[in-house]
Amino acid sequence: MSQEKEVKTKGSKKSLQTARNTFKFIVEDYLQGHAHKQEGKPVVWSCALAEKELFYAMGLHPYYPENYAAVCATQRKNRDPSAEKEAVRFAKIAEQAGYSADLCGYQRVATGYIMNDDLTDAPLGGMPAPDLMVTTSSVCDVRLKWFEDMAQRLNVPLFTLDRPERVFNDIRRHPMPHEVKYYKSILEDYMSFVTDVTGIRYDEDRLRECMEWSYKTNEVRLEILDLRKAVPSPMGCADGFATMYPGMYCSGTEKAYNYYKELRDEVKAKVLAGEGIIQNEKFRLMWYGIPLWFNMGIFNYFEDIGGVFAYEPAYNPSPWPQSTGDDPLTELAIRSLYTGTSMSSGMSSILEQCREYHINGAVLAFLLTCRPVYLPALETKRILEKELGIPSVMIECDLVDERSYSEAQVKTRMDAFAEQILGQLEAKKEVA
Amino acid sequence: MNEIFAQYCNNRHDMARKWKQETGKKVYGYFCCMSPEEILFAADILPVRITGTGEPLQKADLHVPPNSCPFARSCLDAGMQGHYDYLDGVVVPNSCDIIFSMEYLWKTLVKRPNPPSMVGGIDLKPYVHYINYPEKINSRGVLPFYKEVLSIFKQELERGNNRLITDEDMSRAITAYNDDKFQLKRLYEMRKTDPPAVSGFEAWQAVYASILMPKDQHAALLKESLDEIEKTGRKAEEGVRIYLSGSAMDRVNADIIKVIEECGGQVVTDDLCVGTRSFWYPISTELPPLEAIARRSLGTACPRSTVKERIPENRWAHIVNTIKGYDVEGAIFYVLKCCDARLGEYPHLRDKIKEEMGLPSLFLEGDYTAEGVEQMRGRVEAFIEMIGG
Ligand code: SF4
Ligand code: SF4
Repeated sequence: MSQEKEVKTKGSKKSLQTARNTFKFIVEDYLQGHAHKQEGKPVVWSCALAEKELFYAMGLHPYYPENYAAVCATQRKNRDPSAEKEAVRFAKIAEQAGYSADLCGYQRVATGYIMNDDLTDAPLGGMPAPDLMVTTSSVCDVRLKWFEDMAQRLNVPLFTLDRPERVFNDIRRHPMPHEVKYYKSILEDYMSFVTDVTGIRYDEDRLRECMEWSYKTNEVRLEILDLRKAVPSPMGCADGFATMYPGMYCSGTEKAYNYYKELRDEVKAKVLAGEGIIQNEKFRLMWYGIPLWFNMGIFNYFEDIGGVFAYEPAYNPSPWPQSTGDDPLTELAIRSLYTGTSMSSGMSSILEQCREYHINGAVLAFLLTCRPVYLPALETKRILEKELGIPSVMIECDLVDERSYSEAQVKTRMDAFAEQILGQLEAKKEVA
Repeated sequence: MNEIFAQYCNNRHDMARKWKQETGKKVYGYFCCMSPEEILFAADILPVRITGTGEPLQKADLHVPPNSCPFARSCLDAGMQGHYDYLDGVVVPNSCDIIFSMEYLWKTLVKRPNPPSMVGGIDLKPYVHYINYPEKINSRGVLPFYKEVLSIFKQELERGNNRLITDEDMSRAITAYNDDKFQLKRLYEMRKTDPPAVSGFEAWQAVYASILMPKDQHAALLKESLDEIEKTGRKAEEGVRIYLSGSAMDRVNADIIKVIEECGGQVVTDDLCVGTRSFWYPISTELPPLEAIARRSLGTACPRSTVKERIPENRWAHIVNTIKGYDVEGAIFYVLKCCDARLGEYPHLRDKIKEEMGLPSLFLEGDYTAEGVEQMRGRVEAFIEMIGG
């Protein structure tokens, strides 16, 4: 990542009104959090895959440094077009302090951000200083070490939700009793931790209420996923990524539920009307991995030749076991352990998704600094080709640090890939 | 220090094959020092640590991307090439992200010696065993959970090898492991003197051999060598006393220790998985054996583990434990590319070592090649000169 390359990046064109309104949702959520802090109420910093109901049920307003890094990837200081993006400014600060440029972009950006004395001198007025932090052991080592490092730096108490990393070949499987028992003990420890730090006590009814909202939200989101299988595609990756914030980060609230109901209605109407993102859909692509947050415009790249990015596996919900209505911590433990996170499960899942969404090709975001995304990339490519005859192309880059982005290289690869897919479709037509 | 150690270090595969042929027993490979190798030993199996070759990849490059851990890629490549064809089983713990993925990669890409033996949807003779190692190693509920994980592993081994593993077997293993830990600790004690009785590279060789050969045999040989050294009073070269903290270190990149010596330094103690992390803390003989093994495994000072304390400092605690009394003059961090846990903790540990011990640090980002190690010579030399001068 040493060399600085030419960069030409832009935001995406979203097809759904709800997607276009999301930034407003995010800004409001940030403002609510600032107000919450000013009222003397506690703020928690956390990450994806921590169960968000745990925060709302305990009266904490959550902020997510990873999401904040993504915001920083789109913003320049004082909106000055000649300035570098805020993400790059922060990443450089961290690198100067000895954080390797090979480390996760989210970590470098957030670390550089907290190394500034003034946390408000940043996009959206920054994140309010945390009273506590909560991370999870799930998915990557980075979020564990990164949060430890932030806790050490800011001297803020940290809790790790240690979720057993289960291994099986199918996509989901009911957890074993010792796994449930362990994770439940972790959730109980979490409750005691929050009480110790903030004085707020665990209220089972309140947690149950939050879980009901998230359960309902999840069901609507699943409905949207089902609708997205339609041809032509009513909602592509640009909209998918643009609309993930409420579900990923505000699950357990009424506002998240209302947001997805609106989104569902909009997508449904499009499907009923047979309306797609583009007029003449010829091929459908999957975007594998996290997007390049500084260049969401890439999702519109193939639209003029009939290509749509129809589906992205990241951030989407999965079906939960039915809600039993009793002890919410046990239910939460079972729910969280239900879905496989190993490469074995990942491969089964990606094959299912490509079949279900009628995918003709996959663009693999080869995120240079995110191990859980880049590690399975070659195997994903191989399996897609072998099992489904689906070609893929890799786009190398960091997820928030645009210094490693090469416009020319990406363009060459994407163009060659489009030709390959169009050629394949042509050949199929001839055979038919 | 000992000819047999050197043989194991330089010809590990031949030595394991020979052992297998001579004893008629099984050999299992494992990744990472938290693996419950004592249970393998208790089942009369020789556990050997899986390491790489350092040579250009022949097969794994098509499956694992170039920016992933070069050590782990090389391990897989060695497996795919058949270097480990004598293994009867492989143990993969939930260690770092990369090793975790070995459950899939090794299972999918390395040829297994026997076909699966399926009964009721379960492979009675699994080749790859996964250990669901927790990441928060001292939480309230961790011990019952992990004991269950280990008893599942034990049952897999019992089925796969058609033998029971009794408490006596496990106690016997614990004794052998403790004996070896005792000798290794003694070896490290002998490096507290100035100059140390044993050089950094010789000590590394002794630790490396311990993860490749039967522990009881290793302990006996090491004892003999150490007795001899004590008797003759022999000393290693004098040098600037270095604390070496690093990622995986096998025959390929351990040459960094030689480079340090050649530049006028002497590694006297370390924070390495082929080093203090593999033997430092003894196994309890008071507890039921499975629990004792679980506790030993949970006590591994792995960089990717965390603890329940509000501001975790478990890694710093291990550094303090292993540096105290060694009169260290400087620390060298040798971290492999992509080793996120180590890269992420480095700035904090560097600052702590400076603030609390007044020691300077040198950071080297390794690529797991002999040439890469050689290229570090200049920086190592300058660092040692700075301290020594
Ligand atoms: S390494 Fe990847 S999964 Fe982990 S925090 Fe960074 S972006 Fe997220
Ligand atoms: S060297 Fe680091 S990245 Fe590689 S296997 Fe070991 S812990 Fe994992």
